[in-house]
Amino acid sequence: MADVADHYQVLEELGRGSFGVVYKAIDKSTGETVAIKHIDLESSDDDIQEIQQEIAVLSTCGSSYVTQYKTSFLRGHKLWIVMEFLGGGSCLDLLKPGNFSEGHIAIVCRELLRGLEYLHAEGKIHRDIKAANILLSESGKVKLADFGVAAQLTNIKSQRHTFVGTPFWMAPEVIQQAGYDFKADIWSLGITAMELALGEPPHAAMHPMKVLFHIPKSPPPRLEGNYSKEFKDFIAKCLVKDPDYRPSAKDMLKHKFIRNAGKVEALQELITAKQMWDANRTRTKHPVYYQETLHSMSPADERDEWVFDTVRSVAPKQRGTVRSRKPSAIFPVEDAMRRLDVKDGPLQPTTPGTVRKATVRRQPSIAIAQSPTKQSSQGSVRRISTSSVAPKRPLQPDMSFGNTGSTMRLFRRVPSDSSTSGQLGDASTDENRPPTKPSTTSSEQQQQQHTSGKEALLGRRLYNKAIEPSLAELHAQTAGSDKRAALANLSDAFAHLDAVDPEGAYHLLQTLLASVAQDKKLAPAFIPHSSSASPALPSKTTGPSDNTPQGTVLIKTPAQVLAASPSKLVLSNANPHLKSHRRRQATPDGSVFEQQRSPEKSEQRDGEKGAGGGVEARYPGKEALPGLEHCQHLSGVFYERWANGLLSRWGGVAGG
Amino acid sequence: MASFFFGRTRTRTNAIDLPRQAKDHVTKLEGPAGAAKAEELGKVLSQMKFILQGTHEAEVSPDQMYQLVMGVIEEDLLYLLAVNLHRLPFESRKDTQVIFSYVFRFRPPTASPKSEPVALKYIIEQRPQVLVELCKGYDHKESATPAGSVLRELIKSEAAAAIILYDDGDEPGSSAHGLMAIDRDRLQSGNGIFWRFFDWIDKGSFEVAADAFTTFRELLTKHKDLVPRFLHVNFELFFDKYNHILVQSNSYVTKRQSIKLLGEILLDRSNYNVMTEYVDRGEHLKICMNLLRDDRKMVQYEGFHVFKVFVANPNKSVPVQKILIMNRDKLLTFLSQFLEDRTDDEQFIDEREFLIKQIRSMPAQPVPSQR
Repeated sequence: MADVADHYQVLEELGRGSFGVVYKAIDKSTGETVAIKHIDLESSDDDIQEIQQEIAVLSTCGSSYVTQYKTSFLRGHKLWIVMEFLGGGSCLDLLKPGNFSEGHIAIVCRELLRGLEYLHAEGKIHRDIKAANILLSESGKVKLADFGVAAQLTNIKSQRHTFVGTPFWMAPEVIQQAGYDFKADIWSLGITAMELALGEPPHAAMHPMKVLFHIPKSPPPRLEGNYSKEFKDFIAKCLVKDPDYRPSAKDMLKHKFIRNAGKVEALQELITAKQMWDANRTRTKHPVYYQETLHSMSPADERDEWVFDTVRSVAPKQRGTVRSRKPSAIFPVEDAMRRLDVKDGPLQPTTPGTVRKATVRRQPSIAIAQSPTKQSSQGSVRRISTSSVAPKRPLQPDMSFGNTGSTMRLFRRVPSDSSTSGQLGDASTDENRPPTKPSTTSSEQQQQQHTSGKEALLGRRLYNKAIEPSLAELHAQTAGSDKRAALANLSDAFAHLDAVDPEGAYHLLQTLLASVAQDKKLAPAFIPHSSSASPALPSKTTGPSDNTPQGTVLIKTPAQVLAASPSKLVLSNANPHLKSHRRRQATPDGSVFEQQRSPEKSEQRDGEKGAGGGVEARYPGKEALPGLEHCQHLSGVFYERWANGLLSRWGGVAGG
Repeated sequence: MASFFFGRTRTRTNAIDLPRQAKDHVTKLEGPAGAAKAEELGKVLSQMKFILQGTHEAEVSPDQMYQLVMGVIEEDLLYLLAVNLHRLPFESRKDTQVIFSYVFRFRPPTASPKSEPVALKYIIEQRPQVLVELCKGYDHKESATPAGSVLRELIKSEAAAAIILYDDGDEPGSSAHGLMAIDRDRLQSGNGIFWRFFDWIDKGSFEVAADAFTTFRELLTKHKDLVPRFLHVNFELFFDKYNHILVQSNSYVTKRQSIKLLGEILLDRSNYNVMTEYVDRGEHLKICMNLLRDDRKMVQYEGFHVFKVFVANPNKSVPVQKILIMNRDKLLTFLSQFLEDRTDDEQFIDEREFLIKQIRSMPAQPVPSQR
């Protein structure tokens, strides 16, 4: 399996960000050390677009003051973002041994300002400047990281209103949502400088939510104590509450505090201090190594991984970044998962052991349907394995939902059908196309070649239009597994006949009908009294809602099933030709419904064509079940309330 | 007075010259001196950017902007840049993006603020290929992001969106002949630029696919007159591709996002007719029900929001009723345990309850729709 992820050797965990785990890794092709952020997309409801936004901002940054983005790709439901590796750690980590000296802070601030100068010129706002998001390389280079909430402005002078950031570092104008721009980053920089000097931001003892009220109301924090005049002034300049009077990054670079700052190499002292501190700690640190999850190696164990994923909640950071996102849900329940298991699921058809032949026949088409282009990524593996389980499970997952397995066949057959009948418009073909186009198997092509004579054509049409759908229908409506098995066998037999000798099918029905017509008792039962002339086809006045005993009777003897089959044309509402046929006639102004009010009629038309004419009179329309009309009204009311609810949900999404 | 004229003349020359120089360089990008040309082009482009954008310190001169925009149109630079976007150096691609967005927004100071910006009007009426070429930016990883952001700004204009939807090569009624030539009732051949989005979204690398999807979503959700009609006429082609390429995509992100977008499209009031047509098909319901059993719960969850439309529809078609009735018991059991852990999602819980009620109260046999 060619996988981009294989280009990387993933090593130990570096840390957990606001929504992802970051690992150290080696790019095998270059030997370069990189950092890879793994974002589990399944673990949150968040719009993936927000993560894309982060990548979009990062990937358009080309500055030595910003962590270099390399690439990103999907691995299953995890997104891997590959970044430059910065061995010095974050400023928050580096604060652990002790607060920074003024000299160090000045260097960090200068580098940060250069980074911000670049970003702001690019029309980007970082919006989450804080010690945790400032990374150092081993040589002491300072880089901005975590663009999870960064904004890209299309117009250099436009403003933002979104409420994002981390409360303690947020500028008053951001909190007030009155519209803000690049200056917001300068405020956060001022708070960060205080954080580096004091070990924590101002008001750190306060509840984050309370801080949100506090910041706009109170005068800006000031740096007190034994610090230089320049440093105090620098902080004061950054923390001007009115953004219009707050200097830009460019202005701040000219500040005396910054101009006197030393070289970045001096920051290596901080890194050394941190290493010493780590070494002296009594508690030994066990690096957490990345483990290739079973999920990505073996499809069989994927479910375990899935459960693992859901149980794991996103580790909350100490001062998590406030996003305009919903908190990700925590999923502790494995029980439900077990029930959703493909094999054990309640939706699994309850008729194992039957229709074995049919399954074998259907198998290939399912495999095709389920893996259209699934050669490359791993998601496919499981699916393929599902279908490989298939022989044990006669009725496939696909069928469990509905029109039974014959549906698959119906669709497979359609191409040959439309090519032989030539009566159907182009519009009808799309819908009938199976999930993948190369579905016309070679055997089918052969079949088509066989199909030549008029009788063969009719026979084939008979099978496609009448027998096959009817059997499918019947199979679907039959509850007992024995009965279903019998039907399936019949269906297979017929399919075989159709494949080998469509002419035979034609003659079979012809003979059958003739015999029925001749029998005194059978004729009135199957051929309505109103019928005239040609004994070509029997018909029945029953529709889908028909619940009369005939249905069960029919199953008892094969002959009767056959006899009933053509009448089931009425039932073949699922017949896609018919629907598209109807649709083509429909106009956009809602006459779709006009058409649908009398589906039987169009079916009759269709049936007329299919049976070779003269049959329409024998397909009387069926009425709706009496007594259920009020339900229509009720559900109409429900639907309206419902639709409104839905609209507001989606509307909210669209507006947000 | 003399100095006034002098200044004016000089700036005008400069602003007019830049597009010509840019054209000169851009046409030679592929030649032997490509690298040198790219560098020179980069300089010209960044100058153009400053004229259009100004800086934090310097304001722009509307006069210069006007000259520049007219020059860009005259030299057909929009087209040339769109075609060559992926060949430009990193910074130039971003500059180009900025230039495009300013050029397409520019209105002469005298023009009404409601009028169509000149460059936009020009490409819509006379040079729709610019839009097509911008879409083709998704052919390359390098150009995907800048082309995508320009596109998304452009398709805020309904006319620009129409150009992309109705592009159909040289077919009659294709937007290639300009906006006025579009025949909205003609079935699309499926060879137009819009249909290529399906491949970009399904097969592109993550960055390309993600950006292409964002544009695709905008195209399909922004314009409430244009899109429903387009979808109605091209229903078969569109949903065939949508269901089989996007909803069944191998890419988790594409799959999940396209299911979500499908829900949004169906539930948009303006798409009412499209929705009723969509939820009539048993085949669509089956796809949807299979999504409920995907092994990734966010796929299940997004699938649920499409599934609910089928069930809530008070006029279910017979095939849909049949499938639901046949699976009634299974569905009831399944739904009662479906995503049980979403305990704090009240709306979801309500909706799930509603569906259970609906399915339980369905008649034993399908009833033909009364509408």
